[in-house]
Amino acid sequence: MSVFAVDPLLAGEVGLEVLAVVLFKVLVVFVLLIVSVMLMIWAERKIISDMQNRIGPTRAGPWGILQTLADGLKLIFKEDLIPDNANRTVFKLAPLLTLVPAFLTFSIIPLGGDFTDKDGVISLFGNDTYLQLADPPIGLLLFLAMSSVAVYGIMLAGWSSGSKYPLLGSVRATSQMISYEAALGLTVAAVFLQSGSFSTHTIVSEQSVWQWNMWFTGFVPMAIFMIAATAELNRPPFDLVEAEQELVGGFHTEYSSIRFALFYLAEFMNTITISAIVVTIFLGGPNGPIFIDAVAWLWPILWFTVKLFALLFTFIWMRATLPRFRYDQLMDLGWKVLTPVALGWLLFLGARDVANDRGWNPVLVVGVAVTAFAVFGALLLRAVRMGKQVRELEEMRG
Amino acid sequence: MLAQYLPVLGLLIFALLFGVGGFLTSGLLAPRSPNARKAAAYECGMVPAKDTPERFPVTFFLVAMIFIVFDVEIIFLYPWVIANGTLGAFGLFSILIFSFLVFESLLYLVSSGALEWGPVSQIRRARTEMVDADRTTSSTVRRVGLEGRPLEPQDQTEEAG
Repeated sequence: MSVFAVDPLLAGEVGLEVLAVVLFKVLVVFVLLIVSVMLMIWAERKIISDMQNRIGPTRAGPWGILQTLADGLKLIFKEDLIPDNANRTVFKLAPLLTLVPAFLTFSIIPLGGDFTDKDGVISLFGNDTYLQLADPPIGLLLFLAMSSVAVYGIMLAGWSSGSKYPLLGSVRATSQMISYEAALGLTVAAVFLQSGSFSTHTIVSEQSVWQWNMWFTGFVPMAIFMIAATAELNRPPFDLVEAEQELVGGFHTEYSSIRFALFYLAEFMNTITISAIVVTIFLGGPNGPIFIDAVAWLWPILWFTVKLFALLFTFIWMRATLPRFRYDQLMDLGWKVLTPVALGWLLFLGARDVANDRGWNPVLVVGVAVTAFAVFGALLLRAVRMGKQVRELEEMRG
Repeated sequence: MLAQYLPVLGLLIFALLFGVGGFLTSGLLAPRSPNARKAAAYECGMVPAKDTPERFPVTFFLVAMIFIVFDVEIIFLYPWVIANGTLGAFGLFSILIFSFLVFESLLYLVSSGALEWGPVSQIRRARTEMVDADRTTSSTVRRVGLEGRPLEPQDQTEEAG
């Protein structure tokens, strides 16, 4: 195990054959992403309509499965308006700034490969490689970087529109996304602590059939990651960015035609990617029991897909079930609950590992940890009360 | 080592082609008939009366500043989590002290009200004592459209008095 895992395909000399394999992999992942986004949008509409006692799309293709394609084609043929007040360059650039990070994040997801005895290496046209597009040394940091870049797309889209509601929506969005990025970064750190590596490939190979990081990290990081990810995606119940009752359509109110379609596409692509990342870092990725040896290569892909679908269904389910947060509740949850808890839990996990190495008394370690949690929790609670009083005094003074 | 990023670059090019290709296709196929109403800022059919606000609640700015503090902390945590096995107790105690200092700054920010968003009226309502028993709908709600006529509840109270 090394901190920086490398894809054996690109470890040596990069010749023409290797380039061809890379191009093939890029094409496959690209098509896979586009098709899965199409299906995801269709599935979301269909499942939500089932949960709301409606039928949902039925006309385009069998069970309306081509609805997204039809919508996309229609949007291409629609007039593309740029408002007078808009900053034209930034207005045109913003959809690309949202779309490109959505694509790039998916490149680090291990989609399959036998991790039980072959370390996930497969043979593609006679070249050894992983069944993931890329395994760069920075690994999951690429995901964090791209989720930061995606904030720019949303912020600039609202700012450049030259209109009230998009601006309000984008300022809210920026604030919300950076608030939850702190919690997100701290929970990912818990996974790094467990696996000792940034590389998604190593994180997956450190887990096995049922030994998932979800258990090793004590479930809390996964719960926080799921909540923070929902906020990062601006999905309900955290969809204050496009709260229709308050902000019309949020940051993309002024966008029409293909530019709007790209925002929509990026949003659902991010949902798929984040679910895939949860599968990778918490649910063992493509690890799973292999039943029929003849098609052994198929099982990891199947397990990955099953886990991914379960998570996507959870996201859709949450959207159909939960009402939207109020803005102050959202910020309170992010800063005063999730971030401190994630930090405390990470330190506890670190202490647990050191205690295991040094042979410290586990009861003592847990006791100290619980006491620390209680003391700092009480301090935080007191700080929250004081903050409310300060706010009230300021308001009374005017 | 940089060759590892080659597939990412490939996907970047494909994503850009997809986006720009979409713009070009739409540019060729979509109709163009702009007019002043379409190009005005969209406000649900209202004619925009005021310009876009340039001033915002300072709390948004504060959140961005606090985020930088926490992001820097997270960046310092990443090397520690990777090297936790070799650093052992020394690393653990160093990072505990460091985290305490950052947590302390969060405590200060929270207690000074930098992260308070909620409506103040709600806080005040929750903190005030019980409402006066004399305050009823007849004493607080002003009735309109009944000029020159005595209100019925008052009549009754006068009779009772």
